[in-house]
Amino acid sequence: MTAGAGSSYIIEGPAMRHQVSRNRRIAVFFLLPAVVMLFVTTIYPMLYAGWLSFRNYDLAKPFIPRIYVGTANYAEVLTSQPFFHALVTTFKLMAMTLSVQLVLGVGMALLVIQKLPGMALARTLLLIPMMISPVIVGLVWLFLYFPELGYLNYFIGLVGFEPVPWITSTKWALTAIAIADIWQWTPFIMMGTAAALQSLPAEPFEAARIDGNSRLDVFLHVTLPQLKPVLISLLFLRAIDAFKIYDIIFVLTKGGPADSTEVISLYIYRQSFTFWRMGVGAAASFVSLVIIVVLITLFFRSMQRSQSAQAR
Amino acid sequence: MLHMKSMAWAAGVALFVTTGAIAQDKPFAGVELKMLGIGDTSVTRVAPIVAEFEELTGAKVQIDQFPYPGLIDKIVIEASSNSPTYQLLWVDSPWVGMLGEAGALMDLTELAKRDAEEIGLADIIPIQLQENTWQGDLLAFPASGMIWSVNYRKDLFEHPDEAAAFKAKYGYDLAPAKTWDQYRDIAEFFTRKSGEMLAGEKLDKDFYGTAQAYSRVQGAITHDYFPIMRAYGGDYWDPQTGLCAMDGEPHVKAAEFMKALIPFNPPDYLGLMWDLRTGYMERGETAVSGYWSVRTVRLTNPAEAKIAEKGLVVGYAPSPTEDGNPQPTYTGALSFGINSKATDQQKEAAWAFIKWATSEKLMRRFAEDGQGVSQFRKSILSDPALQKKYPYYKLLLETQDNARRRIFHPFYQDAEEIFGVELNKYMAGETATAAEALSTACAAVNSRLSIFSVEQRLRWIDDVPAKVLND
Repeated sequence: MTAGAGSSYIIEGPAMRHQVSRNRRIAVFFLLPAVVMLFVTTIYPMLYAGWLSFRNYDLAKPFIPRIYVGTANYAEVLTSQPFFHALVTTFKLMAMTLSVQLVLGVGMALLVIQKLPGMALARTLLLIPMMISPVIVGLVWLFLYFPELGYLNYFIGLVGFEPVPWITSTKWALTAIAIADIWQWTPFIMMGTAAALQSLPAEPFEAARIDGNSRLDVFLHVTLPQLKPVLISLLFLRAIDAFKIYDIIFVLTKGGPADSTEVISLYIYRQSFTFWRMGVGAAASFVSLVIIVVLITLFFRSMQRSQSAQAR
Repeated sequence: MLHMKSMAWAAGVALFVTTGAIAQDKPFAGVELKMLGIGDTSVTRVAPIVAEFEELTGAKVQIDQFPYPGLIDKIVIEASSNSPTYQLLWVDSPWVGMLGEAGALMDLTELAKRDAEEIGLADIIPIQLQENTWQGDLLAFPASGMIWSVNYRKDLFEHPDEAAAFKAKYGYDLAPAKTWDQYRDIAEFFTRKSGEMLAGEKLDKDFYGTAQAYSRVQGAITHDYFPIMRAYGGDYWDPQTGLCAMDGEPHVKAAEFMKALIPFNPPDYLGLMWDLRTGYMERGETAVSGYWSVRTVRLTNPAEAKIAEKGLVVGYAPSPTEDGNPQPTYTGALSFGINSKATDQQKEAAWAFIKWATSEKLMRRFAEDGQGVSQFRKSILSDPALQKKYPYYKLLLETQDNARRRIFHPFYQDAEEIFGVELNKYMAGETATAAEALSTACAAVNSRLSIFSVEQRLRWIDDVPAKVLND
């Protein structure tokens, strides 16, 4: 060990190598539990699902030979009309929820950053839906939507309208699911947008005001362009989550009536745990994983383009 | 081999008990059993008194109760486990094929024969034992026996104004329907809007002619469709090929009939599960409703059904047929089975529990307490005092002389789910015709079955007579 310039000490030679080696061992020691947990809960199940996706594996019918079937399960999924119907329903639901969540979330963010009395409490209350488990959210909305006894129809009846078959009609069921999802996840967009708004530099806003622009012009031409990267990030995070939506639908409609709310995750569930065709369910999971990966790739490309444009 | 071991266990237990060779006088002291059960009458009656069984035998029984939707999923997972948590499994009779072919349930034939006198084997309605067989082996023991029948508001049927108005409109007397056309007329006649009169009183809410299950969840709609389909003369499988045959003319007629009933059902018909639909009759909000007798027992219990509390009178009738001529009654059984992977000691204790929980003594006690179970014992169903107390007992007894069991195929769950979705789509108007819906469903079922040989498929649809009754 030698004393260096000033008050710092530099370790050299075998002592340094020993120290580095010791640090690595400590790092491995601390990382090991996380790696083991990751392997047990994510990597191994994923590898096992990959193995299953190439096999004819029916959990309820062990008399069916559990043999290697090549890509037959993938071929079945990719040529399955119910799978594509579920895919279309998933994208429909994503379009309904994300568009409303974006508009409402930004609007609420603009409101909650105002320095008005009670805003701190309002911010906290508005975040509550996001903190509730989706199963509980489903149950809460089940009570609200319940055909004969639900609160929503009770209030609708009070103002003289006919009850709405929220979750028992093919026309309304997907909208009912979207409303519950919007209620739960709009605060997420609000929270992210509010944080971004508060971190924007003040100068462009002052300049725009001095130039005599209206508040709408300032929002459209100054605020929104600066928020764009954040909004794209928030939307893509929500899109990935919305693509996987399961709990709320399972509690409210289980994919029905007819197949009006059967999304990808419900399709996978039915294949795996109703028909017990674990191989087909696993193949459908991997196909949906590929779709999510494509979405993520598009997201990052979009982010890069946005950043390049801003840099120019 | 398994039976030999069970016999040896039983002999050992008997020896210890009779000779007092050990200080412990409870044969299953220290044994713990868990039951995967349903939260319905076949279990809810016995669950609160399991401590009595522990007092008698020393075996501690814990019953976990779950709703019907999803219960089979838990049972399949349990059956596929090499170290099962549950030794006792609640079994709905259509599951017997799937669980039987998978080897998930212990064959109770030898035990039932051994203890024939104790369990009152001759007292059990034969079809209820047959319902629990797979390839002739008895895989579960009835805890509740069911028929598909019609419950109706007798007070409305006997109201002179209603009876006269019905005769004026339809040209025949108002009485429980013998044909499906009559059933439709009755449903139409009694469908009334809030503010209209019903039996001389102004309605403060809508009243529905009928309440049937149209939900796709856990194939609920198929539970209503299959009995109607059978009553129209339709069957499940082609006897030559063992493939799905549920797309023929009787099947289409049955589906079209169900669709024709929609205007007389509650507006949430597409979401009506069993419990929701029976709720309408239990609250007295519908005129007629066909259902499993397992929930009929609730209609006489004020603690379970408002209709009993309100003092309204319910009538019970056999399910109609297409032409009014009797057809084999559509039956079902809710039963207790033993996990084939339980230990020998657990199996013997589980069998002791089944004997106790389904005994004539306990069934009679429930009936006398006012909490009857949809019965499978002739001695209880034919008891005049109990028949007076539970008018549907007579119907349960008489209709099972000519009866035929439900679907019992190893691919039952697939058929139930596939037909559930396709029929639900047809009822919702998403599929144009019944023929299209049924042929789509049949094609999907056949795509699973066609990989098996004809011999295998024919074996699966062969209802081999119960060995416990015939050998």
